[in-house]
Amino acid sequence: MITLRGLTKRYGEKTVVDALTCDVEPGRVTGFLGPNGAGKSTTMRMTVGLDRPQDGEALVGGRHYAELRHPLREVGALLDAKALHPGRSAGKHLLAMARSNGIAPGRVEEVLATVGLSDVAGKRAGQFSLGMGQRLGIAGALLGDPGVLMFDEPVNGLDPDGVRWVRQLMRSLAAEGRTVFVSSHLMSEMQLTADHLVVIGKGKLLADAPVAEFIAGNSRTTVSVVVPADAERDALDRRLRAEGGLTHPGEPGELVVDGLAVTHVGDLAHELGVRMHGLAERTASLEQAYMELTASSVEYGVSA
Amino acid sequence: MTTAVGGGLTGAVAAEWTKFWSVRATWWCLAAGTALMLGYSTLSGIAQRYDGDRPMGAHTIALGGGFYLAQFAVIAAATLFVTSEYAGGGIRSTLLWTPVRSRVVLAKAAVLLPVLAGYGVLLSCAGMALASTVKDGHGLPTSFAAGFTTTSGMGGYYALLGLLCTGFGWALRSAAGALVSVIVLLVPLPLIVASLGLPELMPYFPGIAGVNAMVEAGQPNPITMTVAPYAPWAGLAICAVWSAAALLTGAAVLHRRDA
Repeated sequence: MITLRGLTKRYGEKTVVDALTCDVEPGRVTGFLGPNGAGKSTTMRMTVGLDRPQDGEALVGGRHYAELRHPLREVGALLDAKALHPGRSAGKHLLAMARSNGIAPGRVEEVLATVGLSDVAGKRAGQFSLGMGQRLGIAGALLGDPGVLMFDEPVNGLDPDGVRWVRQLMRSLAAEGRTVFVSSHLMSEMQLTADHLVVIGKGKLLADAPVAEFIAGNSRTTVSVVVPADAERDALDRRLRAEGGLTHPGEPGELVVDGLAVTHVGDLAHELGVRMHGLAERTASLEQAYMELTASSVEYGVSA
Repeated sequence: MTTAVGGGLTGAVAAEWTKFWSVRATWWCLAAGTALMLGYSTLSGIAQRYDGDRPMGAHTIALGGGFYLAQFAVIAAATLFVTSEYAGGGIRSTLLWTPVRSRVVLAKAAVLLPVLAGYGVLLSCAGMALASTVKDGHGLPTSFAAGFTTTSGMGGYYALLGLLCTGFGWALRSAAGALVSVIVLLVPLPLIVASLGLPELMPYFPGIAGVNAMVEAGQPNPITMTVAPYAPWAGLAICAVWSAAALLTGAAVLHRRDA
């Protein structure tokens, strides 16, 4: 369980994290979303005491990170895969890490096997590819078998197999009852991984809701109906408008209907004897919902 | 998790010990310092056989090798031990493992103290043994007391010098900045202060105090050719004050700033 209470970080005049309050619960994957520069990494860094908040606090299991006697046994964090000495081997890096928190040295081989780096344990970390570095960072996060895990953009640099592996890993960690807090700017990734979303923009909390609720609350469901004959489509269009639907053309031959249920659209088409090639309910993707929500809070937006 | 096994300062020291010995820089520095000491002792020993004008004892030769050459390897090893944390962002990992920041400063100091003390003792003994073998009765003899003072002084000086370097490293966070600052403090700065009319301050700079710790009381040290106004142990005490000040400054900077 991670508890953020009024967490605030300012760099000079600029407020990077603005009175952020939320709870990250155990037993589920919580996606931490926001555009680049929204304050996700800073929030995570404050949670583990690397950055100091001007105001508010971040607690892990009810305590400040620095108060934990064996922090690695309670919190595993992958914040920056390059946060290590490039000249030290992966195995020695993890061994030093284990010793720092009284973790059995045998865990090093276990986590290296878990992330698939057993063969390169003796290789210097500076020679690792981005993907291998991410795997090493994940190995470090798992080393102390912690109840709380934080991953900052964990799929960066991973190949498709690696991405799928991370997704499964996070799901299984949450299924074991752990708290899993994963940041990403990729909505599509979170849609596949997260149960719950915390969305921030310009350091402010924009949403804190289950994924399904977030999508429902931030997007409309539309109905797509494909009618090949122009005359029939126009007739259906008039009828749908008469029933209170909003319509607009989509792909060639397609009508996109807003405000009417898919069953209702189907019934009306049947009534008119219209020949259809398609009838489907379209739920906006998380990507769209997220774009709408954060449109006004994009830090480094491209001006039109 | 209430088990009190591992972690804390003990864990931090164990981790830093592993980190110190698992990078090549450490081995390169210590090997280079050893090579410099052995080379200097050999050449000085040979010189004693042919140069009767400046007779020296083996302990004086070891002192020269230790001050003019080998100490720079110690400085490099100790400085890089800290500044390499900032070169690649390793400090963020280190502070995740050991979030109490003063504990990290203490842990690195605790690793360097015995390692560099032992290194200084070994280097002094090796330098003296080699020099006295090579000079083969030429030059001056070395009494047990003189040899002991040089050896214990070098061990103590290297250990405290290492701590001084880590203090500068924590405070400045860059290898170049810390190395230049320490070296200026050790060698040119006392000379500048002396030339500005304050030669009596010279023995209170850490480098000169370290040399004085390696010379028997009442004897002139071979670097400044002056007699220290204090006993050898006081030279180490002066070094310890410098090191403590540097460590406190470094710890304060680490404590205050975001990692």
